[in-house]
Amino acid sequence: MNESRPAPAPALDIALGDITRLDEVVDREALRDVCRSFFELFGLSARVFSSEGTLLADAHEEPAIHAYLRTLPRGRQLLDQSVDAVVRAHPEKRTQLSELTGAVYDVVPLVYQGRRVGRFVLGPYLPAELKEVPRALLKSDPGIDKEKVRTALASMPRVREATAEKIVAHMNGIIDLLLFSSHRAHLTSEMHVASVRESYRELAEKTAKLQAAYERLKELDRLKSNFLATVSHELRTPLTSIIGYSEMLESGIAGDLGAEQKEFVETIHAKGDQLLALITSLLDLSKLEQGAMKVEAEPVEPRAIVEDIAKTFTPAAHKKGIEVVVEVEEGLPRVMGDPIRIKQVLSNLAENAVKFTPQGGTVRFGAKAAELDDGASGLGAVLMAAPRRAIAFTVRDSGIGMPREELPRIFDAFYQVDGSSTREHGGTGLGLSIVKRLVDAHEGSIEVESFVGEGTRFVVTLPSVEGE
Amino acid sequence: MQIDFQARELTVKLVYYGPALSGKTTNLQAIHKLVTPDTAGRLMTLETRDDRTLFFDLLPLTFSSGSGIQVRFKLFTVPGQVIHNATRRLVLQGADGTAFIADSQVAETRANQQAFLNMQENLRENGLDPTSHPLVIQFNKRDLPGIRTDEEIDRLAERGSEPVFKAVAIRGVGVIETFLGLTDLTWRALEEKHSLHEKFGLDPDEFLRDVRVRLGIEGRAAE
Ligand SMILES: Nc1nc2c(ncn2[C@@H]2O[C@H](COP(=O)(O)OP(=O)(O)OP(=O)(O)O)[C@@H](O)[C@H]2O)c(=O)[nH]1
Ligand SMILES: [Mg+2]
Repeated sequence: MNESRPAPAPALDIALGDITRLDEVVDREALRDVCRSFFELFGLSARVFSSEGTLLADAHEEPAIHAYLRTLPRGRQLLDQSVDAVVRAHPEKRTQLSELTGAVYDVVPLVYQGRRVGRFVLGPYLPAELKEVPRALLKSDPGIDKEKVRTALASMPRVREATAEKIVAHMNGIIDLLLFSSHRAHLTSEMHVASVRESYRELAEKTAKLQAAYERLKELDRLKSNFLATVSHELRTPLTSIIGYSEMLESGIAGDLGAEQKEFVETIHAKGDQLLALITSLLDLSKLEQGAMKVEAEPVEPRAIVEDIAKTFTPAAHKKGIEVVVEVEEGLPRVMGDPIRIKQVLSNLAENAVKFTPQGGTVRFGAKAAELDDGASGLGAVLMAAPRRAIAFTVRDSGIGMPREELPRIFDAFYQVDGSSTREHGGTGLGLSIVKRLVDAHEGSIEVESFVGEGTRFVVTLPSVEGE
Repeated sequence: MQIDFQARELTVKLVYYGPALSGKTTNLQAIHKLVTPDTAGRLMTLETRDDRTLFFDLLPLTFSSGSGIQVRFKLFTVPGQVIHNATRRLVLQGADGTAFIADSQVAETRANQQAFLNMQENLRENGLDPTSHPLVIQFNKRDLPGIRTDEEIDRLAERGSEPVFKAVAIRGVGVIETFLGLTDLTWRALEEKHSLHEKFGLDPDEFLRDVRVRLGIEGRAAE
């Protein structure tokens, strides 16, 4: 509901679909053509005004009688007065206004969708019914030449009233049609713009809502990580004491222990160590999630790392009757990363490999040249994707393997392929999620391939030193 | 409503809302055909694709009252297709009353419901209160098989406060009745809000009777 119109009136009121400013909505070129065609067809001058008084279109020729009267001082004055009266007229219905010469103007309001939006003026013309030259004209100026007046008037168009009525109705109909199509074209383009703007507004609003929800989730996540870090610290402190004191008891500092006592203390010590390992992993995970764990970047020799890992795990493997094989490509560039963290990653994978491989199996450690792809796809991928040179470390076992459908989830925290395996084989269920986060921190990638009963292969790809 | 004291002119906006293909455009076409040219202007259709409304249709009706007031009604249709929601909301802007055109076919029940919820939401978005907004409901396409029965509609209509009309818009049946029902409700709400009787000497009963006569309803009843 708007009771008053807004101050800077737009050409169109889109809510009501109304024309408020005819001069900006109407197609003036077309309007001019209409006026010209009436002038050519009937010899009648035609003019169209908006309700504000703007002359929108015009086709006319100065009548000879006007030209003559203008040469006379008094005639000119009287003529201007009558033309002025025509221009100022805003009648509610068709009105004929006559001038000094006896000629008339038809002034017709333009009513569009129940509203007066302007007017048009036809004439001057002489009503065919008029026989005599008006006396007022002949007496208008002392120096008037009657013969010249008669000749000039003879060239003025003469129209019968019945014909004038038809011409007016015809012109009215044509202008109305023109207004209609101009109005429609204008509304259409306004609606195009308004609809696009409205859709955009709607979209922007939805995006803002989503963004807010996302920020809230991120904040929750941060709080959770903070909480985890604090709790891990609080757990670790008393645990260190428990382990320390049980160690002291074991070593006999507080006096000799009986065989059974010793066994109990050893159990306390072992379980304490296990609990500490779990808490440390949790702490690592939460640090990694907050991006708080520092990853050093320095050139690292891949062969040295792989051989170091192999050496560390060979005794345990041999004890289980598992063969260890090392396959490192010659002439590899160095890897860019943190040697301690890379070792942590490979150790974790190696530990699992040995753990899940039965007697007589094989565990292979390898390193070879590879490429890292950032996975960009879709529009312009050929430009957007930027592959980097890299080293692929592999840890492959001939162990029990994992079902295919489990593979996408093995990097989630606390996820175990089979809940029982944690109890059976030990471990916290945090190892692989930490591995994944460490690899991410190196801007590398990790992939897994596994078949039940055949074994598992992890490939860790890390960027190599640029230009080696 | 737009009130122009200087020109002694009132403009009332009525919107035909409803699901896609329920017959909103057909309602306006029927009114245009049934009402004499001195009352109804040209029916304007803004952009269509395969006969589906993309922006809106607009039919202007003009009534000049005895007291010298010009009353203009502007009838709009919205595009019913779900994707044109932004346009629908724009067209609904500043509506004084709404006719909800439902498709009577049983299969369209859900589409009707969704469009109705959507209308309420868009009324609210435009700052209009759906509970007090003048509203009539039309069950269109009564000529088709597989429609909800008269008995069912009548029974359910009693549960709501809004007037319910039945129509076959392609044959012009029930269309004027729907329009008059909407005009009646809308005018009384506007009278309440703007005291038109007092300000312009427009007696609501007289005015509404004039409108009915002009649309040939009162005359028909007298025959
Ligand atoms: N059988 C039957 N068909 C109808 C009736 N009213 C409308 N239709 C038809 O239904 C179809 C859609 O009518 P429209 O008036 O274009 O529908 P609309 O509500 O304007 O649709 P949108 O513009 O897409 O929102 C047309 O083919 C009409 O002829 C009716 O009463 N009976
Ligand atoms: Mg339509």
